[in-house]
Amino acid sequence: MSKIIPGTKATRMELLRFKSRMRLAERGHDLLKEKCDSLTMEFFNAIAEIRSVRAAVESLLSEAFTALTQAKMVMGPARVFEFAEASGTDAELMISPRSLMGVRVPVISLEQHTPEVPYSMIDSTAQFDEMAATFKKALTAIIRLAEVESTVKRLALEIERTKRRVSALENTVLPRLEATVHFVKLALEEREREDFFRIRMIRERLEGY
Amino acid sequence: MVGAKIAVIGDRDTVVGLKMAGVHESAVPKSPEETRRRLVDYFRDPGVGLILITERLAEPVEDTILELSRAPVPVILLIPDRDGSTGVHDHVVRELIRRAVGIEVKI
Repeated sequence: MSKIIPGTKATRMELLRFKSRMRLAERGHDLLKEKCDSLTMEFFNAIAEIRSVRAAVESLLSEAFTALTQAKMVMGPARVFEFAEASGTDAELMISPRSLMGVRVPVISLEQHTPEVPYSMIDSTAQFDEMAATFKKALTAIIRLAEVESTVKRLALEIERTKRRVSALENTVLPRLEATVHFVKLALEEREREDFFRIRMIRERLEGY
Repeated sequence: MVGAKIAVIGDRDTVVGLKMAGVHESAVPKSPEETRRRLVDYFRDPGVGLILITERLAEPVEDTILELSRAPVPVILLIPDRDGSTGVHDHVVRELIRRAVGIEVKI
């Protein structure tokens, strides 16, 4: 009987209190379980998305690296590096939270500011322009991947937490409350029987006189 | 809305290419220790919202990445380098999912 919540008094008030606590715990358990189910559904949707976005990133990046190689061949690696360092393109992430089943997931968007002439037009080549454009495209895809992936990670964490709470309710809180309610009920019934017999004995003794 | 910077840790080509796309912070580490140090540096920088790291460099410091990935911000993302994907990314994501859900999920 170690499951009984310590400090329980066997009174009718206590019994009512524990019964309402049990109802609350049961309702919470059902709700959390539902939440866990729908989170898992979202989770698998997001995983399916990761796969396609990942493929897009890979193909765009390999395209970009091909363009980079071409630019290096035409301009020479040192000049390409130099131009990249001096490039005026500026990318800023805008991160805003979105609520998905009560989980805050990030919505990441990219703001690329490109000056009209980001680098010297005379000293660069068409291949270099191409490379800059493909890398920009690749970066956009990468940002999308980052968004989806962090969504998956946060969903996973939330699922873990919800699962833990569900199983805590299921395996600890509810059995304890049940045992306590049972204990209080038994104790009350026992006292009632005792009272009954005590009254009977007293009555018999009184009648005997 | 929070404006944030992107940091990239990678080989020379990756860094150069992404710089053209407007990435702010970049590092070309030469050893796993340096990669780890850079990673933690960027991780602690409150202005950085996304850390990109190439899979090849991420491989030796995978444990650090898994550790840092528990925080929501910044997002750490593994990208393929010029030789294509090595599959480390899959491994990292799968490990995170396994920890969370308790089952292996094929990505």
